[in-house]
Amino acid sequence: MSEKHEAMNIFDPTGMLKSMRDTGMEHWSKMMTEFVHSDAYAEANAEMLNVWLTTSSPFRKAMETAVDQSLSAMNIASRDDFMRLADRLTNIEMRLDDLDAKLDAWMRQQGTQHQG
Amino acid sequence: MSESQNGQAGMLTFEDVCEQWHQAFDNLHKFNRLLTTDAKVAQTPKQLLWTLNKAKLYRYTPVLPTEQRHKIPLLLVFAVMNRPHVLDLRPGHSFVEYMIAHGYDVYLLDWGIPGPEDCELKYDDYTLEYLPRVVRKLKSVTGANEFSMLGWCLGALISTMYASLRPDDGLRNLLLLTAPLDFTDKNAGGFSRWVSQPAFDPDKIIDAFGNMPGEMIDAGAKMLKPMENLVGSYLNLWDNIEDPSRVEAWHAMNTWVRDIIPMPGAAYRQLITEFYKENRLIEGTLTIRGERVELGRLRANLFNVIAESDHITPPCQSERVMDLVGSQDKEVFRVKGGHIGIMAGRGAEKNTWPHIDTWLAARSD
Repeated sequence: MSEKHEAMNIFDPTGMLKSMRDTGMEHWSKMMTEFVHSDAYAEANAEMLNVWLTTSSPFRKAMETAVDQSLSAMNIASRDDFMRLADRLTNIEMRLDDLDAKLDAWMRQQGTQHQG
Repeated sequence: MSESQNGQAGMLTFEDVCEQWHQAFDNLHKFNRLLTTDAKVAQTPKQLLWTLNKAKLYRYTPVLPTEQRHKIPLLLVFAVMNRPHVLDLRPGHSFVEYMIAHGYDVYLLDWGIPGPEDCELKYDDYTLEYLPRVVRKLKSVTGANEFSMLGWCLGALISTMYASLRPDDGLRNLLLLTAPLDFTDKNAGGFSRWVSQPAFDPDKIIDAFGNMPGEMIDAGAKMLKPMENLVGSYLNLWDNIEDPSRVEAWHAMNTWVRDIIPMPGAAYRQLITEFYKENRLIEGTLTIRGERVELGRLRANLFNVIAESDHITPPCQSERVMDLVGSQDKEVFRVKGGHIGIMAGRGAEKNTWPHIDTWLAARSD
């Protein structure tokens, strides 16, 4: 059934336009790939990003300062406080990992001595 | 019997129209579900052995008895900007599953998903803080003094630096997959060209976001081949929506593609400045925590897999390392395909995995 009506399935717009689409797709693909790999695109992309980041920076910094001051006034920990805490926890994890490794080595040594 | 079945092609009966309507509705429903839901990926059974911060070391449950397994364990190190599930995409099409079935004791280092608190993590930390601890744990668990390591994409970059800085840690075999190491040619590939622009300033991005947002990494990767990624992929799904095997494969891959993660800000800044812009690794000027990374000190057996149609890591970025390493046993293997396709595409099981197995098996006992 579906095979017989494949060429004229009115509920499959992509199917109806498939031949046109396939012909154009390769051409579009090549053109777009060439475009995004051009120096003009790279330059424009970098410039736009730069402008956006530069112009938004003062507003972002003002917002961050305001939030930090508000949190500090209310005695609530800020993101920086949590980041410092996370850093300390990772350091503790590292020390525990070193201890774990030493314990492993000691147990292996004990096992070898018992076998010997 | 309908008119069309009588051979009068082109004439639709009301019954045919209704059937097409139902089919189209079903297909649209399925299409929407596939775009908005996650497939079950990374299903090979594994056991968590070690954690540090967000990083985790897993051991995949072996399926062969000890006497049939290779003696040298294999550690998989994936990139820091994606989830490692692509190595174990779906049952019946999984590199991990394949290697386990071929007698390897497989371990996976999952770097995890960095949070805002990880914005200061650099490649220095990955290479000299995390990876040596993972290796220490791996050796402790397996009792083996030697191991093999497979690094993919930025995981290959970290693996190469580690192998150069710690040549006496027991690394016997190093496998690099699509390794971005040499950035001499600033016009090779879109990424090199984009980030080499004087106006492209990674510091401003990191100042704004802390970490490099996964959405920006994803958008950049997709823009390397905009039509294929933003249009062609979905048309391909629609064209094959009634083929269950193709749909399953597409859904699993799309699940992995959608699972985007940020890159720690300091690591991103380092990647752009010290690697892409200044090419320090290949120039021999890269210093990690005060230690100069000399590729000549890398002595492990080396298997360098290059994807010939890689638009993320063009072949030229992976080739020159072969002339600089100190390895006596080294081989380049070129595969037709793209960055991900060579390991997770439909042809991977025939074109890539067996070659990795053959090379590694000869050096794993």
